[in-house]
Amino acid sequence: MGNKIVVPFGSQHIALPEPVSFLFDTKNEIITDVRVDVGYVHRGIEKAAITKFEFTNVAYLLTRICGFCSITHAGGYHHGIEKLLDVEAPKRAEYIRLIITELDRIHSHMLANAHVAEVAGYENLFMQGVKDREIVMDLLENITGNRIQYDIYTIGGVRRDISKETAEYIKKQLNKLKDKVLKVYDFYDTDYTFGLKTKGISYISYDDAKKYNVVGPIARASGLATDARAEFDYLPYDELGFEVQTRTEGDVWARNIVRQMEVVHSIDLILRAIDNLPEGDIKVKYKGRPKGETFVRVEAPRGECFYYLKGNGTKVLERVRVRVPTYSNIPILKELFVGEKYSDAQPIVLSFDPCMSCTAR
Amino acid sequence: MVKMFIESFKNLFSKPETVKYPFEPFPEPEGFRGTILYDEELCIFCDRCENVCPPGAILFEIVDVENNKREYNYNPYLCIYCGACVDVCPKADEGCLTQVNTRIKPLGNEVVKNKKLGYLINKIENPKEVEKAWRELEIRAKESREKYAEFKKQQRLKKRAQAQKAKETKTDDN
Ligand code: SF4
Ligand code: SF4
Repeated sequence: MGNKIVVPFGSQHIALPEPVSFLFDTKNEIITDVRVDVGYVHRGIEKAAITKFEFTNVAYLLTRICGFCSITHAGGYHHGIEKLLDVEAPKRAEYIRLIITELDRIHSHMLANAHVAEVAGYENLFMQGVKDREIVMDLLENITGNRIQYDIYTIGGVRRDISKETAEYIKKQLNKLKDKVLKVYDFYDTDYTFGLKTKGISYISYDDAKKYNVVGPIARASGLATDARAEFDYLPYDELGFEVQTRTEGDVWARNIVRQMEVVHSIDLILRAIDNLPEGDIKVKYKGRPKGETFVRVEAPRGECFYYLKGNGTKVLERVRVRVPTYSNIPILKELFVGEKYSDAQPIVLSFDPCMSCTAR
Repeated sequence: MVKMFIESFKNLFSKPETVKYPFEPFPEPEGFRGTILYDEELCIFCDRCENVCPPGAILFEIVDVENNKREYNYNPYLCIYCGACVDVCPKADEGCLTQVNTRIKPLGNEVVKNKKLGYLINKIENPKEVEKAWRELEIRAKESREKYAEFKKQQRLKKRAQAQKAKETKTDDN
């Protein structure tokens, strides 16, 4: 019954803009084994962070680990360094941080979902998703001054305030976006052809998700309610009534739906945050140098991101360790391929929304 | 499926969502983090901007060691537009270092020219030479610092020797 054929996926592949290499052993279209290599974009950022940069400006380096979740890395670093320096950001700053973090999640999720639609052969839906995403990008550019690298965090607060007009503008645009998102949600939910390509593909059970320590929307699509926003206290999510979004189907389709649910929930969170934006300063002064060690867990769009910082009382940190969500999800990804058709490999990879720049750093 | 079809059909006749870049400029919003402009008149040469800049896109070269005359150099093609330099500049409020909300053109066939962009970039004509010139400047700037430190040290030694001498003559007088 057929010979074994090795089909490479990457390191450069049109479906995935980032370099990652999968080598599939296939037999009659069915994948029998897979080898993964993720180290193509290693830039030595962790080493640079402890040699070339002082703790005051290393954040500009760390946020450039990733173009999607730069705010996650800013959050991971700043919440950690604030613990070490023993400063607390004012309430208003925390709210602004939350708004940007959630906006970032919205645009990341929208693109991830659109990408799955694209590789499932549904280019129309892709365009629809990306078109709506532009609203969020414009909002981010308006608030922070840049589309991708927001650089809004600073030690002890944020660098820019949200004015009254901007707040009104955000509210108006988000209400507009919500209608559009709900419409696209409906397509993902009810579309027959999209369902054929995604339902039942690459099923992860609750037990498997637990066993392989899966994080992020992938875990939540299997019913595993793990979310750093609920489990670790770093931004005022409790005050705004954050709820973990879960599904139980555990397939490619469910992952898209979870992400879409989170987009809607994030929009609600931001609207609530804008309505309750506290008055006051956006920045406090800090003194001293980081000493001791600490860790932070933040929820990136792709799952839980872990930061470990160690300072020794000098300007340069002794250790910066980042563990990103995609890295935690690779073991299960490898397992999933076996037994699936090669033609489904692309939706499976894309439904994990892998970020190789984060993983290899 | 049908709903999507209707949606796509509507899209056929709606206004395009894209911008015709590069034939039309891409609009920058208010508060966009763009080019860094510098005003030499107001600068107090505290070097803070150089020290904070993550990629090292600001470099001061000491051209005259004896009078400590410094020249500001900025590389807009290396800058990551983070705005950290403006945050730390003590004279930023007066307009010494400002971040405007326009961007410079990508390095294509010509190098941007603006007096407020510092010395080096205004001296280069050929875009292919920017990188090489910047590398050379990095070395020169480092050397000029060493020379300046050496000069300072010599001066200090001289002063000390003079003071010693003055002391000696004083004791001789006694
Ligand atoms: S904006 Fe950032 S990268 Fe550019 S010169 Fe200023 S500190 Fe350097
Ligand atoms: S921080 Fe401002 S005042 Fe100081 S050297 Fe730079 S431009 Fe001049």
